[in-house]
Amino acid sequence: MKTKQSRNSVLSRRGFLRSAAAGGSGAAMLAGMNSQAAAQSSDPVVVGAPLPLTGAAAADGIEFRRGLEMAADEINAMGGILGRPIQLAFGDTESQGDDVISSAGRRLVDRENAAVLISGYNFGSNSALPQVAADAMIPYLHADTVIAHEALVQSEPETFWGSWMYDPSEAMYGIGYLDFLRNLEESGQFTPPNRKIAIITGPIAYSINIAEAIRDRAADYGYEVSLYETVQAPISEWGPTLAKIRADEPGMIAMTHLFTQDQAQFMLQFMENPTNSLIYMQYGASLAAFREITGDASEGVLYATVIGALQDEIGMIFAEGYKERFGETASPNAGGQTYSALYAYAMAASLAGGVGEPYEEMQNRAIVERLQGLIFRSPMGTIRFNPQTQSAYSYPSQTDDPSLGLPHIFSQIKDSAQDGVIIAPSPYDKAPFELPRWMKA
Amino acid sequence: MNTLGKHFAIAALLVLSLAVLPALITERYLLGEVVVFMIWAVVAMHWNVLTGYAGVFSLGQMLFFACGAYAMAMLSHYYDVSPWVGMPIGGAVAAAVAFFIGLACLRLSTAYVALLTLAVAYMVYTLIITESGCISNEGGRCQRLFGGTTGFSRIEDFGFRPLLRGNWILGNYYVVLGAFAISISAALVIIHGRLGLAFRALDDSTAYAAARGLNRVRYRLIAFVVTAFFTGFIGAVQAIHFRSAGPSLFDFSTLLFVLSMVIVGGLRTTWGPVLGAALMMMLLEVGKSVGDIRNTLIGLSLVLVVVLMPGGLMGLIETLFGRLWTRSRKEG
Repeated sequence: MKTKQSRNSVLSRRGFLRSAAAGGSGAAMLAGMNSQAAAQSSDPVVVGAPLPLTGAAAADGIEFRRGLEMAADEINAMGGILGRPIQLAFGDTESQGDDVISSAGRRLVDRENAAVLISGYNFGSNSALPQVAADAMIPYLHADTVIAHEALVQSEPETFWGSWMYDPSEAMYGIGYLDFLRNLEESGQFTPPNRKIAIITGPIAYSINIAEAIRDRAADYGYEVSLYETVQAPISEWGPTLAKIRADEPGMIAMTHLFTQDQAQFMLQFMENPTNSLIYMQYGASLAAFREITGDASEGVLYATVIGALQDEIGMIFAEGYKERFGETASPNAGGQTYSALYAYAMAASLAGGVGEPYEEMQNRAIVERLQGLIFRSPMGTIRFNPQTQSAYSYPSQTDDPSLGLPHIFSQIKDSAQDGVIIAPSPYDKAPFELPRWMKA
Repeated sequence: MNTLGKHFAIAALLVLSLAVLPALITERYLLGEVVVFMIWAVVAMHWNVLTGYAGVFSLGQMLFFACGAYAMAMLSHYYDVSPWVGMPIGGAVAAAVAFFIGLACLRLSTAYVALLTLAVAYMVYTLIITESGCISNEGGRCQRLFGGTTGFSRIEDFGFRPLLRGNWILGNYYVVLGAFAISISAALVIIHGRLGLAFRALDDSTAYAAARGLNRVRYRLIAFVVTAFFTGFIGAVQAIHFRSAGPSLFDFSTLLFVLSMVIVGGLRTTWGPVLGAALMMMLLEVGKSVGDIRNTLIGLSLVLVVVLMPGGLMGLIETLFGRLWTRSRKEG
């Protein structure tokens, strides 16, 4: 009887989670508010999405669109935002620079009457869309993952009050990597052969900023940077870099240059004569293409993301639903970003008493105030904003409470036929760290 | 009225029409697109002066545009220089760069000039995006001398936002219109003034023109530098309007887009590039509601125009008017 009760409680919990969809805490909360609120009007709320739907970032851009579509359908099924259905409007930023991005954003505001702009990431200086949102006095939520956002909003907080980055900056990758290494050591899971780190970075600011964050803080963690190499992109001949690594073997190799093809070539050439080094790769290794190119050589590689779908109950329900709707090759890691952002906005707008139109500064500021105070458990973890930087807190680098920060998740490829498995941070880890087979115990 | 006077009258009419347009168009987005049209029309018109009239097939125009934008951005970022001062400096920097590139390549034949200017533009682009050293590090953010892959943002704008608030774009619109008026007037003076005469003479017979004392390289260099000045000047204006400048300015698709304006409108026609800029902007606007067809539309327009009307739309219009004029005279 006791067992049955326990099973029932587990089932009802899963049932609750399912019925609340994967919108985390937001779905139940929104449904509750909608059931109590009299519909303000039946006019749709236009959510503008300036996304890189074509060009170099199109693969992620399409996932961002899917994430919004899924969230919008779920929220509309629960009654929208205080009775008003969400209507999505997309603008293609073409993976291009500020002029195209700005034009796409302005089109969404002035032609489609977008009440909010939501995107994943875009290229350019990362200031074009904040400027569009500032001019139209509407909120703008993005996951550009750049420290440039924090510098921008801190330099002109009265102008960019509406721009919020719902993930941490790329600098967290550097800090998080060092924290991760220290935790591995302290927990006895890994004993580095020496204290040296070889850092390989590429030409993109994102890669350089992460590499510099590691380099500048390594000494604080008791590590020594034995190599800091900047490579051109694309690169397929890794001989010179590997020669330097082999001449002065590091205990750890951190590759922040993020092109998948280049990382795969590195790994294949590294495995011809591997050194006793733990390998971490930024972003590229998280894609299926990396495992396809490198095959078994990918097993043991580590990668991380500051915003990715968790492999816990909420995360898995979301990922299953996402793949069921968009196919097995769809990426919940990317789609989950805009999905979570739309939920966060819908909740903030509901709490603020309704959606603001473009140029309605007071109501939009009220929404932003609610957003600022929100603690939203999404499929990616908890989104909670730092009001100074207007970006999400990272767990565990910026908070030691997993319920108050977006987890910086580290994964390890265990089987080249499968996605990597989350190995940190606790409590989101699904498997322990394993020493890569090329390393000596 | 002489030819230059007639063209100035057309220019005045065009500028006047654009000046009253905000009374008819209230949508901010459309006004923003007209601002972009004016910017590209200036680049296209000066590219036409250089390629269509001076016979210099340069593919480095976006380099000069970027020089103006970067000069403005760097002056604003490092020295807080006012945009009103930065705009002409942007033009001057582009002109100086063009002078040195021109010295190196204008003795070469057409194809080599195109290759060399493109190569220099690509080299500069590569140097910018591969710059890895930081000149400062504020709050963990590495500042590269030329902005690296991020470029520069938060450039000081014209100052209309606090004054006009929601209608700030009107202020920008009229500043860009002023820059447009100055730049197209300069193009008209070059095409229909003494410089244009020299270009026509050199084009008719280089040897005869040289015998009459015209130095081909010198005149080409003057055209190269003057058009670069106005291209850089409008590049600085663009940087101020968008408050940013970055390596995407060198993007090949942008180069192709502006080139298509010149070809579609009509190379070696005075108003062809302006017409081409307007048409291509409208075409892309229609394309935006269809989907991912921007580059297809540009390519298709280029192919159709080159095959069916090599003189561009303005060439076609001139031919049709010419025939009507001849027929009416015969009938008269």
